[in-house]
Amino acid sequence: MQSLEFSHYSDPLDLLRRFIQTPTKATYRVDGARVGVETNDFTLLPELPLDAEFTGPCALEWKLIRDADSPGLLEPPMFLTSATLTVVAMGTACLLGLDHETHKLFGFIGADIDALTFQKYLVPFLCRMTKNVLSGDPIGCFVSWSHDSAHV
Amino acid sequence: MEIIIDSTLDNAVERPAYFRGSGHLVFGFLPPSGFITYDLLRKYVRAVLSTKAACDDSFWRTLLVPITIGILGTSVNVVPLHCACLERNGNGLLIAGDSGVGKSTLTAALTQRGHALISDDWTYFSKEQSALVAHGLCSPIKLLPDAVQFFRELRELTPVISLNGELAYEVDPGRLAGSTVKNSSRPCRIFFLERTFRPGCHFVSYPPESLREFFEKSAERLPDELVAAKTVRSTIIRALSTLPSWVIRTGEGPQRTAEAIDQFILEGKYAIA
Repeated sequence: MQSLEFSHYSDPLDLLRRFIQTPTKATYRVDGARVGVETNDFTLLPELPLDAEFTGPCALEWKLIRDADSPGLLEPPMFLTSATLTVVAMGTACLLGLDHETHKLFGFIGADIDALTFQKYLVPFLCRMTKNVLSGDPIGCFVSWSHDSAHV
Repeated sequence: MEIIIDSTLDNAVERPAYFRGSGHLVFGFLPPSGFITYDLLRKYVRAVLSTKAACDDSFWRTLLVPITIGILGTSVNVVPLHCACLERNGNGLLIAGDSGVGKSTLTAALTQRGHALISDDWTYFSKEQSALVAHGLCSPIKLLPDAVQFFRELRELTPVISLNGELAYEVDPGRLAGSTVKNSSRPCRIFFLERTFRPGCHFVSYPPESLREFFEKSAERLPDELVAAKTVRSTIIRALSTLPSWVIRTGEGPQRTAEAIDQFILEGKYAIA
């Protein structure tokens, strides 16, 4: 799979990459809820219905970061869930974290995850996380999730 | 802190250390096959480890504990700062300076002269009854390959790729003749190391505001969510910057520089408050 060309980030005082800018922003409707998405790579904007009509706060916010220094493809997901957090690791190619209380979801998506894989596998996964946390059952949402479905 | 042991990870593919974060959340892979998450606001850590890693003392000592304190520390009032710490006669001595200036080789040379080692690369500061305390993690001293010219003991060792990707000797302080290790100390003075081509070692008083600026600028950036952690760190840095401190400009090797520091202390050219 061809890697996307994307600039490498280097800040010796930000080794965890918390301060990568995410200037591309859009709002969507996910199962009736308003979801804000911000990213540093427009190919990570989901192909979901846009929500341009309404203003006001989003029910949930996604922050998706294209990480040029994370190689590899998606691996079967590993879940770590608690009452307040859901964390999903699909290898270094995709790390997702969702805070159930602040309703913020963030993800680091590796350089080798192309737009098709992102739209086909990861966007449904993110939507499912979103729906379940908004319905008040963030942990139970993964019980029926098939490992194979996220394995590319 | 919650640790989940998963024996299926014993046969999993090994991965290098890999950490990412956003706001108050940090997560990543912990070699050989573990996964860990940190919630810095709720002060909660959750990890999945292989049986092998969970039973391995060196995994805890060199990976899990240092990484956890490095990431979580500031949120629990233990502030990691980039400097070395040694102690003699109950007086803690901090060695600060820019990366690559030779703090570790100087630290190794000072341990050979009888200073106890608290920490080499990162020192963890807390306040106990309003007094500053510097803590170490008994981690090995990390010396770059060219340090072999100053320490013959290194010839028996092979440099390894360390966590930050650098090729370095990781030396158990016990290997350096005369070295002893301590867990903590009360810092009394700071030397800020600078290299110069001019022969000799020259000591110049270092203004508190410069020291404060150095520690503030060399510390990890913290997100706005961690307001309390930022405040704790600033308080510790402010307290550190009130300690007697000097720039030591040296054109000498680490052993000669260490000797000059000892001489400077011995001659009592300053007073410890």
